[in-house]
Amino acid sequence: MAATLSRTINQRLRRYNLRLADVPVWLVGLVIAVLWAMPFVWMVSTSLKFPGDVMTTDIEWLPHRLTFENYVRIFNEYPVLRWLFNSIFVAVVGTGLNILFGAMAGYALARLRFPGRDALFFLFLASLMVPTEVTVVPLLFAIIKIGWWNTYQAIICQPLTYVYSVYIFRQFFLTLPRDLEDAAKMDGANHFLIFWRIALPLARAPLIAATVIVFTLNWNNFLWPLLATSSDEMKTLPVGVAAFAPVIGTRTQIEGFALGMAGITVLSAPSLMLFFFLQRYFIQGLSSGAVRG
Amino acid sequence: MAASAAVARPRREIERTDWVGYLFVAFFTLPFLIFNIGPILFGAYLSFTKWGIFGKPKWVGLQNFRAAFADEFTIIAFKNTILYGIVIVPCVTVIGLAFALYVHQRWPLSGLARTLFFAPYVVSATVIGLVWVWMLDTQFGLVNHYLGYLGIPEIPWLTSTNWSLIGVSIASIWWDLGLVFVLLLAALQDVPRELSEAAEVDGASRWQRLRMVIIPQLRPVLSLCVTLQVISTLRIFSQVYVMTNGGPASSSSSVIYYIYTTAINQQLFGYASTISMLLFLMILVITLANRLLIRER
Repeated sequence: MAATLSRTINQRLRRYNLRLADVPVWLVGLVIAVLWAMPFVWMVSTSLKFPGDVMTTDIEWLPHRLTFENYVRIFNEYPVLRWLFNSIFVAVVGTGLNILFGAMAGYALARLRFPGRDALFFLFLASLMVPTEVTVVPLLFAIIKIGWWNTYQAIICQPLTYVYSVYIFRQFFLTLPRDLEDAAKMDGANHFLIFWRIALPLARAPLIAATVIVFTLNWNNFLWPLLATSSDEMKTLPVGVAAFAPVIGTRTQIEGFALGMAGITVLSAPSLMLFFFLQRYFIQGLSSGAVRG
Repeated sequence: MAASAAVARPRREIERTDWVGYLFVAFFTLPFLIFNIGPILFGAYLSFTKWGIFGKPKWVGLQNFRAAFADEFTIIAFKNTILYGIVIVPCVTVIGLAFALYVHQRWPLSGLARTLFFAPYVVSATVIGLVWVWMLDTQFGLVNHYLGYLGIPEIPWLTSTNWSLIGVSIASIWWDLGLVFVLLLAALQDVPRELSEAAEVDGASRWQRLRMVIIPQLRPVLSLCVTLQVISTLRIFSQVYVMTNGGPASSSSSVIYYIYTTAINQQLFGYASTISMLLFLMILVITLANRLLIRER
Protein backbone atom coordinates (compact mmCIF):
# COMPACT_ATOMS: atom_id res chain seq x y z
CA MET A 1 0.00 0.00 0.00
CA ALA A 2 2.67 2.44 1.09
CA ALA A 3 4.85 1.21 -1.75
CA THR A 4 2.21 1.89 -4.39
CA LEU A 5 1.52 5.30 -2.87
CA SER A 6 5.17 6.33 -3.05
CA ARG A 7 5.35 4.97 -6.60
CA THR A 8 2.42 7.16 -7.66
CA ILE A 9 3.98 10.19 -5.99
CA ASN A 10 7.31 9.48 -7.65
CA GLN A 11 5.59 9.28 -11.03
CA ARG A 12 4.00 12.66 -10.43
CA LEU A 13 7.32 14.13 -9.26
CA ARG A 14 9.30 12.80 -12.21
CA ARG A 15 7.86 15.60 -14.29
CA TYR A 16 9.79 17.97 -12.01
CA ASN A 17 12.98 15.92 -12.10
CA LEU A 18 12.43 15.04 -8.42
CA ARG A 19 12.13 11.87 -6.37
CA LEU A 20 10.21 11.61 -3.12
CA ALA A 21 13.44 11.03 -1.19
CA ASP A 22 14.86 14.26 -2.68
CA VAL A 23 12.03 16.52 -1.56
CA PRO A 24 13.43 17.39 1.91
CA VAL A 25 16.87 18.26 0.44
CA TRP A 26 15.18 20.29 -2.28
CA LEU A 27 13.16 22.30 0.24
CA VAL A 28 16.08 22.85 2.64
CA GLY A 29 18.17 24.09 -0.31
CA LEU A 30 15.49 26.59 -1.30
CA VAL A 31 15.24 27.88 2.26
CA ILE A 32 19.02 28.38 2.36
CA ALA A 33 18.92 30.18 -1.00
CA VAL A 34 16.28 32.57 0.29
CA LEU A 35 18.20 33.11 3.56
CA TRP A 36 21.33 33.81 1.49
CA ALA A 37 19.59 36.82 -0.06
CA MET A 38 18.13 38.09 3.23
CA PRO A 39 20.86 40.69 3.86
CA PHE A 40 19.67 42.46 0.68
CA VAL A 41 16.05 42.35 1.85
CA TRP A 42 17.07 43.70 5.25
CA MET A 43 19.08 46.46 3.55
CA VAL A 44 16.11 47.67 1.48
CA SER A 45 13.68 47.22 4.37
CA THR A 46 15.86 49.30 6.72
CA SER A 47 16.31 52.02 4.07
CA LEU A 48 12.52 52.51 3.95
CA LYS A 49 12.06 52.93 7.72
CA PHE A 50 11.85 56.05 9.83
CA PRO A 51 15.17 56.43 11.70
CA GLY A 52 13.26 55.96 14.96
CA ASP A 53 12.08 52.51 13.86
CA VAL A 54 15.55 51.26 12.97
CA MET A 55 17.63 51.08 16.13
CA THR A 56 15.23 48.90 18.12
CA THR A 57 15.24 45.30 19.26
CA ASP A 58 11.93 44.62 17.46
CA ILE A 59 12.68 42.97 14.14
CA GLU A 60 10.33 44.30 11.48
CA TRP A 61 10.94 42.73 8.05
CA LEU A 62 8.06 44.68 6.53
CA PRO A 63 8.08 48.17 8.07
CA HIS A 64 4.71 49.09 9.56
CA ARG A 65 5.16 52.62 8.18
CA LEU A 66 7.21 53.51 5.11
CA THR A 67 9.22 56.58 4.18
CA PHE A 68 11.45 57.71 1.32
CA GLU A 69 12.90 60.40 3.53
CA ASN A 70 16.25 58.58 3.84
CA TYR A 71 16.72 58.66 0.07
CA VAL A 72 15.78 62.34 -0.10
CA ARG A 73 18.23 63.12 2.70
CA ILE A 74 21.23 61.30 1.28
CA PHE A 75 20.80 63.19 -2.00
CA ASN A 76 20.34 66.53 -0.21
CA GLU A 77 22.81 66.27 2.65
CA TYR A 78 25.60 64.39 0.87
CA PRO A 79 27.03 64.86 -2.64
CA VAL A 80 25.53 61.49 -3.63
CA LEU A 81 24.36 62.86 -7.00
CA ARG A 82 27.90 64.01 -7.77
CA TRP A 83 29.36 60.66 -6.64
CA LEU A 84 26.81 58.88 -8.82
CA PHE A 85 27.86 60.99 -11.81
CA ASN A 86 31.56 60.37 -11.09
CA SER A 87 30.97 56.63 -10.82
CA ILE A 88 28.97 56.45 -14.05
CA PHE A 89 31.46 58.62 -15.94
CA VAL A 90 34.52 56.74 -14.73
CA ALA A 91 32.95 53.30 -15.23
CA VAL A 92 31.63 54.08 -18.73
CA VAL A 93 34.85 55.68 -20.02
CA GLY A 94 37.12 53.19 -18.24
CA THR A 95 35.14 50.18 -19.46
CA GLY A 96 34.72 51.52 -23.01
CA LEU A 97 38.44 52.15 -23.48
CA ASN A 98 39.50 48.91 -21.80
CA ILE A 99 37.15 46.85 -23.98
CA LEU A 100 38.07 48.62 -27.24
CA PHE A 101 41.84 48.46 -26.62
CA GLY A 102 41.52 44.94 -25.22
CA ALA A 103 39.60 43.74 -28.30
CA MET A 104 42.21 45.27 -30.64
CA ALA A 105 45.07 43.70 -28.70
CA GLY A 106 43.22 40.38 -28.50
CA TYR A 107 42.66 40.46 -32.27
CA ALA A 108 46.33 41.17 -32.99
CA LEU A 109 47.55 38.52 -30.57
CA ALA A 110 45.28 35.92 -32.16
CA ARG A 111 45.31 36.79 -35.88
CA LEU A 112 48.41 38.80 -36.78
CA ARG A 113 52.04 37.72 -36.98
CA PHE A 114 54.75 39.98 -35.61
CA PRO A 115 57.94 39.47 -33.61
CA GLY A 116 57.45 39.58 -29.84
CA ARG A 117 53.76 38.73 -30.03
CA ASP A 118 53.91 35.67 -27.80
CA ALA A 119 56.30 37.34 -25.36
CA LEU A 120 53.83 40.20 -24.99
CA PHE A 121 50.97 37.83 -24.26
CA PHE A 122 53.15 36.07 -21.71
CA LEU A 123 53.87 39.44 -20.06
CA PHE A 124 50.11 40.14 -19.82
CA LEU A 125 49.48 36.78 -18.17
CA ALA A 126 52.49 37.05 -15.87
CA SER A 127 51.30 40.46 -14.66
CA LEU A 128 48.24 38.73 -13.18
CA MET A 129 50.56 37.31 -10.53
CA VAL A 130 51.15 40.79 -9.14
CA PRO A 131 47.95 41.93 -7.41
CA THR A 132 46.85 45.50 -8.09
CA GLU A 133 47.06 46.16 -4.36
CA VAL A 134 50.84 45.79 -4.59
CA THR A 135 51.15 48.37 -7.39
CA VAL A 136 48.88 51.10 -5.98
CA VAL A 137 51.38 52.74 -3.60
CA PRO A 138 54.07 53.41 -6.24
CA LEU A 139 51.35 54.30 -8.78
CA LEU A 140 49.85 56.81 -6.36
CA PHE A 141 53.14 58.67 -6.02
CA ALA A 142 53.72 58.66 -9.75
CA ILE A 143 50.22 60.15 -10.13
CA ILE A 144 50.95 62.84 -7.53
CA LYS A 145 54.27 63.71 -9.22
CA ILE A 146 52.68 64.28 -12.63
CA GLY A 147 49.92 66.37 -11.06
CA TRP A 148 47.05 63.97 -11.79
CA TRP A 149 45.98 63.40 -8.20
CA ASN A 150 42.27 63.93 -7.62
CA THR A 151 41.40 63.96 -11.35
CA TYR A 152 39.24 61.69 -13.51
CA GLN A 153 42.22 60.51 -15.56
CA ALA A 154 43.87 59.34 -12.34
CA ILE A 155 40.85 57.19 -11.44
CA ILE A 156 40.53 55.81 -14.99
CA CYS A 157 44.20 55.06 -15.77
CA GLN A 158 44.56 52.10 -13.42
CA PRO A 159 41.55 50.01 -14.56
CA LEU A 160 42.68 50.50 -18.19
CA THR A 161 45.30 47.85 -17.47
CA TYR A 162 42.84 45.00 -16.73
CA VAL A 163 44.19 42.15 -18.86
CA TYR A 164 40.94 40.18 -18.69
CA SER A 165 39.46 41.73 -21.86
CA VAL A 166 42.60 40.98 -23.92
CA TYR A 167 42.49 37.40 -22.76
CA ILE A 168 38.82 36.79 -23.48
CA PHE A 169 38.97 38.39 -26.97
CA ARG A 170 42.15 36.52 -27.90
CA GLN A 171 40.48 33.24 -26.92
CA PHE A 172 37.51 34.06 -29.12
CA PHE A 173 39.43 35.34 -32.16
CA LEU A 174 41.60 32.21 -32.14
CA THR A 175 38.47 30.20 -32.97
CA LEU A 176 37.49 32.21 -36.08
CA PRO A 177 38.19 30.47 -39.41
CA ARG A 178 41.04 32.01 -41.45
CA ASP A 179 38.98 31.99 -44.66
CA LEU A 180 36.93 34.92 -43.40
CA GLU A 181 39.77 37.40 -43.48
CA ASP A 182 41.40 35.81 -46.51
CA ALA A 183 38.23 36.52 -48.46
CA ALA A 184 38.15 40.07 -47.12
CA LYS A 185 41.83 40.57 -48.02
CA MET A 186 41.07 39.51 -51.59
CA ASP A 187 38.60 42.34 -51.67
CA GLY A 188 41.37 44.69 -50.58
CA ALA A 189 40.25 45.28 -46.99
CA ASN A 190 42.99 46.17 -44.49
CA HIS A 191 43.25 44.81 -40.98
CA PHE A 192 41.39 47.72 -39.40
CA LEU A 193 38.42 47.12 -41.69
CA ILE A 194 38.54 43.36 -41.07
CA PHE A 195 38.68 43.93 -37.32
CA TRP A 196 35.94 46.54 -37.23
CA ARG A 197 33.56 45.18 -39.85
CA ILE A 198 34.03 41.42 -39.62
CA ALA A 199 35.78 40.20 -36.47
CA LEU A 200 34.22 42.50 -33.87
CA PRO A 201 30.58 42.01 -35.00
CA LEU A 202 31.12 38.24 -34.76
CA ALA A 203 32.43 38.65 -31.22
CA ARG A 204 29.07 39.70 -29.78
CA ALA A 205 29.01 37.15 -26.94
CA PRO A 206 32.55 37.80 -25.60
CA LEU A 207 31.95 41.52 -26.10
CA ILE A 208 28.87 41.50 -23.86
CA ALA A 209 30.50 39.16 -21.31
CA ALA A 210 33.68 41.24 -21.09
CA THR A 211 31.69 44.49 -20.92
CA VAL A 212 29.44 43.45 -18.04
CA ILE A 213 32.36 42.03 -16.09
CA VAL A 214 34.76 44.94 -16.63
CA PHE A 215 31.94 47.41 -15.96
CA THR A 216 31.16 45.69 -12.65
CA LEU A 217 34.85 45.68 -11.70
CA ASN A 218 35.01 49.41 -12.47
CA TRP A 219 31.75 50.22 -10.71
CA ASN A 220 32.84 48.37 -7.56
CA ASN A 221 36.50 49.45 -7.66
CA PHE A 222 37.39 50.60 -4.16
CA LEU A 223 41.06 50.83 -3.16
CA TRP A 224 42.34 52.76 -6.18
CA PRO A 225 39.61 55.48 -6.25
CA LEU A 226 40.03 55.77 -2.48
CA LEU A 227 43.73 56.57 -2.95
CA ALA A 228 43.46 58.56 -6.19
CA THR A 229 40.97 61.13 -4.87
CA SER A 230 41.31 63.62 -2.04
CA SER A 231 38.32 65.95 -2.23
CA ASP A 232 34.74 64.99 -1.50
CA GLU A 233 33.42 65.96 -4.94
CA MET A 234 35.87 63.71 -6.82
CA LYS A 235 34.93 60.56 -4.91
CA THR A 236 33.19 57.67 -6.61
CA LEU A 237 30.00 56.24 -5.13
CA PRO A 238 31.57 53.25 -3.30
CA VAL A 239 34.23 55.47 -1.72
CA GLY A 240 31.78 58.25 -0.82
CA VAL A 241 29.09 55.96 0.59
CA ALA A 242 31.71 54.19 2.74
CA ALA A 243 31.53 57.30 4.95
CA PHE A 244 28.25 55.85 6.30
CA ALA A 245 30.26 53.10 7.97
CA PRO A 246 30.36 53.73 11.73
CA VAL A 247 34.16 53.37 11.81
CA ILE A 248 34.63 56.01 9.09
CA GLY A 249 31.98 58.71 9.56
CA THR A 250 30.31 59.66 12.82
CA ARG A 251 26.83 60.14 11.34
CA THR A 252 25.74 56.50 11.57
CA GLN A 253 26.91 56.25 15.18
CA ILE A 254 24.57 59.10 16.04
CA GLU A 255 21.61 58.54 13.71
CA GLY A 256 21.61 54.81 13.06
CA PHE A 257 21.68 52.76 9.89
CA ALA A 258 18.67 54.08 7.92
CA LEU A 259 20.69 56.59 5.83
CA GLY A 260 23.54 54.16 5.24
CA MET A 261 21.19 51.45 3.98
CA ALA A 262 19.60 53.96 1.56
CA GLY A 263 23.13 54.81 0.36
CA ILE A 264 24.12 51.22 -0.36
CA THR A 265 20.75 50.45 -1.96
CA VAL A 266 21.50 53.17 -4.52
CA LEU A 267 25.04 51.81 -4.90
CA SER A 268 24.07 48.17 -5.36
CA ALA A 269 21.05 48.71 -7.64
CA PRO A 270 22.97 49.14 -10.96
CA SER A 271 25.21 46.11 -10.50
CA LEU A 272 22.36 43.90 -9.29
CA MET A 273 20.11 44.98 -12.20
CA LEU A 274 22.90 44.39 -14.72
CA PHE A 275 23.42 40.95 -13.20
CA PHE A 276 19.75 39.95 -13.16
CA PHE A 277 19.24 40.85 -16.82
CA LEU A 278 22.57 39.60 -18.19
CA GLN A 279 23.17 36.69 -15.83
CA ARG A 280 24.04 34.28 -18.63
CA TYR A 281 26.90 36.50 -19.83
CA PHE A 282 28.22 37.04 -16.30
CA ILE A 283 28.46 33.33 -15.68
CA GLN A 284 29.89 32.55 -19.13
CA GLY A 285 32.46 35.29 -18.79
CA LEU A 286 33.54 34.21 -15.33
CA SER A 287 33.82 30.54 -16.21
CA SER A 288 35.87 31.18 -19.36
CA GLY A 289 38.59 33.08 -17.51
CA ALA A 290 38.98 33.50 -13.79
CA VAL A 291 38.55 37.18 -13.18
CA ARG A 292 40.35 39.61 -10.98
CA GLY A 293 40.48 43.35 -10.53
CA MET B 1 41.34 20.81 -43.58
CA ALA B 2 43.11 23.68 -41.85
CA ALA B 3 46.49 21.98 -42.31
CA SER B 4 46.01 21.47 -46.06
CA ALA B 5 44.98 25.11 -46.45
CA ALA B 6 48.18 26.19 -44.71
CA VAL B 7 50.28 24.01 -47.01
CA ALA B 8 48.54 25.31 -50.10
CA ARG B 9 49.21 28.91 -49.12
CA PRO B 10 52.38 30.35 -50.70
CA ARG B 11 55.39 30.31 -48.38
CA ARG B 12 55.96 34.03 -48.80
CA GLU B 13 52.64 34.80 -47.16
CA ILE B 14 53.22 32.53 -44.15
CA GLU B 15 56.40 34.33 -43.20
CA ARG B 16 55.14 37.84 -43.82
CA THR B 17 55.11 40.10 -40.77
CA ASP B 18 51.97 42.09 -39.97
CA TRP B 19 53.64 45.30 -38.85
CA VAL B 20 50.22 46.81 -38.22
CA GLY B 21 49.99 44.37 -35.28
CA TYR B 22 52.17 46.71 -33.21
CA LEU B 23 49.66 49.50 -33.72
CA PHE B 24 46.82 47.17 -32.70
CA VAL B 25 48.48 46.20 -29.43
CA ALA B 26 49.90 49.68 -28.70
CA PHE B 27 46.63 51.15 -27.41
CA PHE B 28 46.41 48.56 -24.66
CA THR B 29 50.12 48.02 -24.11
CA LEU B 30 51.16 51.65 -23.53
CA PRO B 31 48.80 52.30 -20.58
CA PHE B 32 49.59 48.78 -19.36
CA LEU B 33 53.36 49.46 -19.30
CA ILE B 34 52.96 52.91 -17.74
CA PHE B 35 50.30 52.17 -15.12
CA ASN B 36 51.01 48.52 -14.29
CA ILE B 37 54.54 47.35 -15.15
CA GLY B 38 56.04 50.76 -14.34
CA PRO B 39 54.64 50.85 -10.78
CA ILE B 40 55.75 47.24 -10.20
CA LEU B 41 59.36 48.12 -11.05
CA PHE B 42 59.18 51.47 -9.24
CA GLY B 43 57.76 49.71 -6.18
CA ALA B 44 60.55 47.12 -6.24
CA TYR B 45 63.07 50.00 -6.24
CA LEU B 46 61.23 51.92 -3.51
CA SER B 47 61.25 48.91 -1.21
CA PHE B 48 65.02 49.44 -0.83
CA THR B 49 64.68 53.16 -0.08
CA LYS B 50 63.59 55.51 2.63
CA TRP B 51 61.06 58.02 1.35
CA GLY B 52 58.75 60.43 3.18
CA ILE B 53 56.46 62.97 1.56
CA PHE B 54 59.35 65.42 0.99
CA GLY B 55 62.67 65.00 -0.73
CA LYS B 56 63.96 62.12 -2.80
CA PRO B 57 64.00 58.38 -2.11
CA LYS B 58 67.21 57.48 -0.26
CA TRP B 59 68.78 54.05 -0.87
CA VAL B 60 68.98 52.09 2.40
CA GLY B 61 69.53 48.55 1.13
CA LEU B 62 67.86 45.82 3.15
CA GLN B 63 67.13 48.05 6.15
CA ASN B 64 63.37 48.13 5.44
CA PHE B 65 63.19 44.36 5.19
CA ARG B 66 65.01 44.00 8.50
CA ALA B 67 62.65 46.55 10.03
CA ALA B 68 59.62 44.68 8.67
CA PHE B 69 60.61 41.43 10.35
CA ALA B 70 61.08 43.26 13.63
CA ASP B 71 57.86 45.32 13.32
CA GLU B 72 55.17 43.93 15.59
CA PHE B 73 52.37 45.38 13.41
CA THR B 74 53.71 43.77 10.23
CA ILE B 75 53.77 40.44 12.01
CA ILE B 76 50.20 40.95 13.30
CA ALA B 77 49.05 41.92 9.80
CA PHE B 78 50.59 38.82 8.21
CA LYS B 79 49.30 36.60 11.02
CA ASN B 80 45.75 37.98 10.65
CA THR B 81 45.86 37.61 6.87
CA ILE B 82 46.82 33.95 7.23
CA LEU B 83 44.02 33.51 9.79
CA TYR B 84 41.58 35.06 7.29
CA GLY B 85 42.74 32.45 4.80
CA ILE B 86 42.30 29.62 7.29
CA VAL B 87 38.74 30.73 8.07
CA ILE B 88 37.54 31.90 4.65
CA VAL B 89 39.08 29.49 2.11
CA PRO B 90 37.68 26.19 3.49
CA CYS B 91 34.25 27.75 4.16
CA VAL B 92 33.95 29.23 0.67
CA THR B 93 35.13 26.03 -1.00
CA VAL B 94 32.87 23.66 0.95
CA ILE B 95 29.74 25.85 0.87
CA GLY B 96 30.40 26.76 -2.78
CA LEU B 97 30.65 23.07 -3.68
CA ALA B 98 27.46 22.27 -1.75
CA PHE B 99 25.56 25.08 -3.53
CA ALA B 100 26.92 24.01 -6.92
CA LEU B 101 25.89 20.39 -6.34
CA TYR B 102 22.42 21.55 -5.30
CA VAL B 103 21.84 23.78 -8.34
CA HIS B 104 23.31 21.10 -10.63
CA GLN B 105 20.39 18.76 -9.74
CA ARG B 106 18.13 21.01 -11.86
CA TRP B 107 15.25 20.65 -9.44
CA PRO B 108 12.38 23.17 -9.70
CA LEU B 109 13.46 26.77 -8.95
CA SER B 110 17.14 25.90 -9.20
CA GLY B 111 17.55 28.88 -11.53
CA LEU B 112 16.31 31.16 -8.76
CA ALA B 113 18.66 29.50 -6.27
CA ARG B 114 21.57 30.08 -8.68
CA THR B 115 20.72 33.77 -8.96
CA LEU B 116 20.46 34.20 -5.18
CA PHE B 117 23.67 32.30 -4.42
CA PHE B 118 25.65 34.36 -6.92
CA ALA B 119 24.14 37.83 -6.35
CA PRO B 120 26.42 39.04 -3.49
CA TYR B 121 29.47 38.59 -5.73
CA VAL B 122 28.44 41.47 -8.02
CA VAL B 123 28.07 44.25 -5.42
CA SER B 124 30.81 46.50 -4.10
CA ALA B 125 32.80 46.12 -0.89
CA THR B 126 31.00 49.13 0.54
CA VAL B 127 27.66 47.34 0.21
CA ILE B 128 29.03 44.12 1.70
CA GLY B 129 30.75 45.94 4.54
CA LEU B 130 27.88 48.21 5.53
CA VAL B 131 25.15 45.60 5.29
CA TRP B 132 27.14 43.26 7.53
CA VAL B 133 28.10 45.96 10.03
CA TRP B 134 24.34 46.41 10.43
CA MET B 135 23.54 42.67 10.44
CA LEU B 136 26.29 42.03 13.02
CA ASP B 137 25.48 45.02 15.26
CA THR B 138 25.87 43.84 18.84
CA GLN B 139 22.70 45.34 20.25
CA PHE B 140 20.24 45.68 17.35
CA GLY B 141 21.71 43.37 14.71
CA LEU B 142 19.69 40.58 13.09
CA VAL B 143 22.30 37.90 13.69
CA ASN B 144 22.44 38.38 17.45
CA HIS B 145 18.65 38.71 17.56
CA TYR B 146 18.10 35.27 16.04
CA LEU B 147 21.02 33.71 17.96
CA GLY B 148 19.22 34.99 21.06
CA TYR B 149 16.38 32.54 20.36
CA LEU B 150 18.94 29.75 20.61
CA GLY B 151 19.98 31.07 24.00
CA ILE B 152 23.28 32.48 22.73
CA PRO B 153 24.19 35.75 24.49
CA GLU B 154 25.00 38.89 22.44
CA ILE B 155 28.27 38.49 20.56
CA PRO B 156 30.35 41.68 20.02
CA TRP B 157 31.13 40.61 16.41
CA LEU B 158 33.05 43.69 15.30
CA THR B 159 33.89 45.46 18.54
CA SER B 160 35.92 42.88 20.43
CA THR B 161 39.45 41.71 19.68
CA ASN B 162 38.34 38.08 19.91
CA TRP B 163 35.54 38.28 17.36
CA SER B 164 36.37 41.02 14.83
CA LEU B 165 38.30 38.73 12.48
CA ILE B 166 35.38 36.25 12.46
CA GLY B 167 32.89 39.09 11.82
CA VAL B 168 34.83 40.34 8.79
CA SER B 169 35.26 36.73 7.59
CA ILE B 170 31.49 36.13 7.61
CA ALA B 171 30.96 39.09 5.29
CA SER B 172 33.85 37.96 3.08
CA ILE B 173 32.48 34.44 2.74
CA TRP B 174 29.11 35.84 1.67
CA TRP B 175 30.84 38.07 -0.88
CA ASP B 176 33.45 35.68 -2.32
CA LEU B 177 31.35 32.56 -2.63
CA GLY B 178 29.80 33.43 -6.02
CA LEU B 179 32.97 32.93 -8.06
CA VAL B 180 33.80 29.51 -6.61
CA PHE B 181 30.13 28.55 -6.98
CA VAL B 182 29.92 29.34 -10.73
CA LEU B 183 33.32 27.81 -11.50
CA LEU B 184 32.30 24.56 -9.79
CA LEU B 185 28.85 24.63 -11.39
CA ALA B 186 30.41 24.95 -14.85
CA ALA B 187 32.84 22.13 -14.03
CA LEU B 188 30.01 19.86 -12.82
CA GLN B 189 28.33 20.22 -16.20
CA ASP B 190 31.46 18.76 -17.79
CA VAL B 191 31.48 15.65 -15.59
CA PRO B 192 30.19 12.85 -17.85
CA ARG B 193 26.72 11.82 -16.70
CA GLU B 194 27.39 8.18 -17.53
CA LEU B 195 30.05 7.97 -14.80
CA SER B 196 27.64 8.95 -12.06
CA GLU B 197 24.81 6.88 -13.52
CA ALA B 198 26.99 3.78 -13.77
CA ALA B 199 27.96 4.16 -10.12
CA GLU B 200 24.29 4.48 -9.23
CA VAL B 201 23.47 1.26 -11.08
CA ASP B 202 26.25 -0.43 -9.09
CA GLY B 203 24.42 0.61 -5.93
CA ALA B 204 26.63 3.52 -4.84
CA SER B 205 24.89 5.91 -2.44
CA ARG B 206 24.67 9.62 -3.13
CA TRP B 207 27.58 10.28 -0.74
CA GLN B 208 29.72 7.53 -2.29
CA ARG B 209 29.07 8.88 -5.78
CA LEU B 210 30.13 12.33 -4.61
CA ARG B 211 33.32 11.12 -2.96
CA MET B 212 34.42 8.46 -5.44
CA VAL B 213 33.18 9.82 -8.77
CA ILE B 214 32.39 13.52 -8.75
CA ILE B 215 35.09 15.03 -6.51
CA PRO B 216 37.97 13.27 -8.31
CA GLN B 217 36.61 14.66 -11.59
CA LEU B 218 36.45 18.16 -10.10
CA ARG B 219 39.97 18.07 -8.65
CA PRO B 220 41.63 20.46 -11.16
CA VAL B 221 38.85 23.05 -10.77
CA LEU B 222 38.83 22.67 -7.00
CA SER B 223 42.54 23.33 -6.92
CA LEU B 224 42.05 26.42 -9.13
CA CYS B 225 39.29 27.64 -6.79
CA VAL B 226 41.47 27.19 -3.71
CA THR B 227 44.38 29.05 -5.33
CA LEU B 228 42.16 31.93 -6.46
CA GLN B 229 40.59 32.07 -3.04
CA VAL B 230 43.93 32.02 -1.21
CA ILE B 231 45.21 34.89 -3.37
CA SER B 232 41.99 36.84 -2.93
CA THR B 233 42.19 36.51 0.88
CA LEU B 234 45.83 37.59 0.86
CA ARG B 235 44.55 40.79 -0.80
CA ILE B 236 41.76 41.37 1.72
CA PHE B 237 41.33 45.10 2.32
CA SER B 238 38.07 46.87 1.45
CA GLN B 239 35.77 44.97 3.80
CA VAL B 240 38.30 45.47 6.61
CA TYR B 241 38.46 49.19 5.87
CA VAL B 242 34.67 49.59 5.84
CA MET B 243 33.77 47.25 8.71
CA THR B 244 36.43 47.69 11.41
CA ASN B 245 39.25 49.96 10.18
CA GLY B 246 41.49 47.06 11.18
CA GLY B 247 40.46 47.35 14.81
CA PRO B 248 39.88 47.03 17.61
CA ALA B 249 43.60 47.16 18.43
CA SER B 250 44.69 45.78 15.01
CA SER B 251 42.77 42.55 15.71
CA SER B 252 41.23 42.51 12.20
CA SER B 253 44.03 44.32 10.36
CA SER B 254 45.39 42.73 7.17
CA VAL B 255 48.58 43.14 5.14
CA ILE B 256 47.01 45.48 2.56
CA TYR B 257 45.28 47.41 5.34
CA TYR B 258 48.64 47.89 7.06
CA ILE B 259 50.23 48.97 3.75
CA TYR B 260 47.43 51.49 3.37
CA THR B 261 47.91 53.01 6.83
CA THR B 262 51.71 53.03 6.47
CA ALA B 263 51.52 54.84 3.14
CA ILE B 264 48.60 57.19 3.78
CA ASN B 265 48.65 57.93 7.51
CA GLN B 266 52.38 57.67 8.21
CA GLN B 267 53.59 58.48 4.69
CA LEU B 268 56.38 55.92 4.80
CA PHE B 269 56.31 55.07 1.08
CA GLY B 270 59.54 53.11 1.03
CA TYR B 271 58.47 50.96 3.94
CA ALA B 272 54.96 50.45 2.51
CA SER B 273 56.57 49.23 -0.74
CA THR B 274 58.74 46.82 1.24
CA ILE B 275 55.67 45.20 2.82
CA SER B 276 54.03 45.08 -0.64
CA MET B 277 57.07 43.21 -1.94
CA LEU B 278 56.88 40.71 0.92
CA LEU B 279 53.21 40.09 0.11
CA PHE B 280 54.03 39.72 -3.59
CA LEU B 281 56.74 37.16 -2.79
CA MET B 282 54.22 35.21 -0.72
CA ILE B 283 51.71 35.19 -3.59
CA LEU B 284 54.43 34.21 -6.05
CA VAL B 285 55.49 31.24 -3.92
CA ILE B 286 51.87 30.06 -3.58
CA THR B 287 51.20 30.40 -7.33
CA LEU B 288 54.39 28.56 -8.28
CA ALA B 289 53.81 25.84 -5.69
CA ASN B 290 50.34 25.31 -7.12
CA ARG B 291 51.75 25.10 -10.68
CA LEU B 292 54.26 22.47 -9.58
CA LEU B 293 51.62 20.45 -7.74
CA ILE B 294 49.35 20.43 -10.80
CA ARG B 295 52.21 19.44 -13.11
CA GLU B 296 53.16 16.52 -10.90
CA ARG B 297 49.69 14.97 -11.15
